[in-house]
Amino acid sequence: MTARDLDDGLMHEGNTGVTCPACGGPAGAADSFCESCGTELAPPVSSTGPAGYTAQCPVCSLDESAPPSVISAEGYCESCGRKVPSGRDHVELNLELLAGVTDRGLRHPRNEDAMALATTETPAGPMAIAVVCDGVSSSPRPDEASLTGAQAAVRVLLTSIRRGDDPDEASLAGVRQAHEAMAILGSPSQAPSSTYISAIIGLDAVTVCWLGDSRAYWLATDSEARRLTRDDSLAEEMVAQGELTEAEAMASPQAHVITRWLGADVGTAQPHVTRFEPPGRGVVLVCSDGLWNYRPEAAGLAELALPAAFHDPASAADALLKFALDAGGMDNITIVLVPFPLARPAP
Amino acid sequence: MTDSGFSVDVDQNQYLPEGGRDVSAVVTVASGADVAVAAPSGGAGSAEIIIIDCSGSMDYPPTKMTQARAATAAAIDVVRDGVGFAVVAGTSTAWPVFPADGRMAVASAATRAAAKQAVTGLRANGGTAIGQWLGLARQIFAGYYPAQLRHAILLTDGKNQHETPAQLAAELSQCEGTFSCDCRGVGTDWEVSELRTVSTTLLGTVDIIPDPAGLAADFAAMMENAMGKQVADVSLRVWTPQHATVKFVKQVAPAVEDLTGRRTQSGPQAGDYPTGAWGPGESRDYHVGVEVNPAGVGQEMLAARISLVAGAPSGAQVLGQGLVRAIWTDDEALSTKINPRVAHYTGQAELAAAIQEGLEARKQGDEETATAKLGRAVALAHQSGNEDTAKLLSKVVDVVDVESGTVRLKKKVEDADEMALDTRSTKTVRVKK
Repeated sequence: MTARDLDDGLMHEGNTGVTCPACGGPAGAADSFCESCGTELAPPVSSTGPAGYTAQCPVCSLDESAPPSVISAEGYCESCGRKVPSGRDHVELNLELLAGVTDRGLRHPRNEDAMALATTETPAGPMAIAVVCDGVSSSPRPDEASLTGAQAAVRVLLTSIRRGDDPDEASLAGVRQAHEAMAILGSPSQAPSSTYISAIIGLDAVTVCWLGDSRAYWLATDSEARRLTRDDSLAEEMVAQGELTEAEAMASPQAHVITRWLGADVGTAQPHVTRFEPPGRGVVLVCSDGLWNYRPEAAGLAELALPAAFHDPASAADALLKFALDAGGMDNITIVLVPFPLARPAP
Repeated sequence: MTDSGFSVDVDQNQYLPEGGRDVSAVVTVASGADVAVAAPSGGAGSAEIIIIDCSGSMDYPPTKMTQARAATAAAIDVVRDGVGFAVVAGTSTAWPVFPADGRMAVASAATRAAAKQAVTGLRANGGTAIGQWLGLARQIFAGYYPAQLRHAILLTDGKNQHETPAQLAAELSQCEGTFSCDCRGVGTDWEVSELRTVSTTLLGTVDIIPDPAGLAADFAAMMENAMGKQVADVSLRVWTPQHATVKFVKQVAPAVEDLTGRRTQSGPQAGDYPTGAWGPGESRDYHVGVEVNPAGVGQEMLAARISLVAGAPSGAQVLGQGLVRAIWTDDEALSTKINPRVAHYTGQAELAAAIQEGLEARKQGDEETATAKLGRAVALAHQSGNEDTAKLLSKVVDVVDVESGTVRLKKKVEDADEMALDTRSTKTVRVKK
């Protein structure tokens, strides 16, 4: 499922600066909205997936002699009873400047990760925005929390960047909006919760804002590859205090206990914001722990993603997903890749 | 509650360990204050037949026959205007008492009075052939087309001596599904298992009325209950995935009734289990066990879809639906969790079985088995808070230690107490959700 299938192509036509897809009127390369009809030319996209369930049972359709499967309104195959994938179980988004994939993995019954992407043109050049949220499984309706948070944040981030706000301020406005949107989903005792990470990639800097253990990496072929975030997790705290090595921490049962998140049980969100100026050519990776569990070091991830991610982030994201699934797919997996410097492929 | 006025709720632990196959759920079906289906309710839709034992033993003591006539009159008084009704007398044969032409009368003040008059003429004289009685009732019902809700009350005081068990079984299989029947045994000379077979097959209740003086109130209550029924021939339709097997379908509240063998195939992957007729404000629990082909960890499967359907020749009307799910997980904390209601009803079914097996062993003179089974029953009744059954048990055994179920068989047990325990062994208590 690509973004193009999900929407009627609005987000692709807009920024290339030819015509408005809604009214056919002329539009400038840097326009966010059509001057004639007001249509948003490059709206954000998110991993909602299509409504409903897949039309065919993935298990029964393997048997070519069997009649076509019927899927019930509740999403079960009427022959084998298997729950079939819903829209969110696997979603690919491709905005050319950046691309992402999110997947249920192999061991969880649903995908509680969510992502939202956007691009915009500024006088200084293109900018890309990525938000990834990983719903907290022990909270109620984590899938709702993550998608609500990602969608709320990307909208504010995009508006803020279009307005010319400083990326740090935009990032804080985004996470605040995500927090508010998640908080109204529940109460302090019943709080749908999620991790949060946003990345704003501009002409010369990457601004990352996060809570929890979803990560951002700078992937490069040289020794500059590095992790850009520090997890809010018990494991990370123990490593920071020198109590455990990273390998020991990862093996500990508390490796995935996070110490910060968003939700109605959090009074004031306390996000981290960091600004990174890339030293050269590379790729920004934003991901949930479903990927980094299997390859936590930046150099290792760079090896998997490069050089493909430089020119085809969508295929590279697929390859990373396949790697995580082959490694066990124990958790939901979300991967967003943004080649730097931002450049649209030649038409 | 859906538009039909029925609700279907499923209670289960949906998590299975890797490779797990057995899915178990308690399905609660409840009817609201307004139950409505396409079929019209009210008088014309209902028919009642009262079947009275007129065998010679009904005169020993004579109060039995006197009270049986009074009880029949009391039940007739409760029949609502417009309802089809008839009274049948049974010995080694059966004959229509009212109306005498072997058809169905339509209830009115005049027909009720005429029926009661006819009943006063009943005398005890002859044998007992319950299959004959049921056969006549079946024919009278069959000739009365408007009725969808067909119900009978059968009273006897003795064993089915004047026909073979095979004859009774053959007649029962003809009656099955055509009408429901509540059975009452008066005195202590009748056979619990015999009458239970009739009531179970015909989706009714069975009970003992030790003292004939209690008949009238019981008959009136049974008829009152029957008049409250509004939706006929309701079934549980159980859909299961391919390669799955329905292990059992049991009603577990208000009493245990095993419906497993009552399945009628209703589709390539679905079977119907009869629940009989429903009135407003009823609630019954069913325990459903399904064996499925395991899927991988992280996968989810619909193990069963339970639909409540009202049967109609033109097609079934779905009154409500519930889903039984299976999710495979490697989290043992999830897969080993025992659903309290499933556990409770598993215990209640074991309680009923322990009582019946214990009494049977006692009858056969196998005191060791009887003591063990009835002891187990005492412990189960205590653990589950089934006080009525505990009370009945205490009339048959002396309880030494209730927790461990240590008991001694009483040397002298009243027949009526033993039969009451037997007939009421299937009564269950509910747990709060």
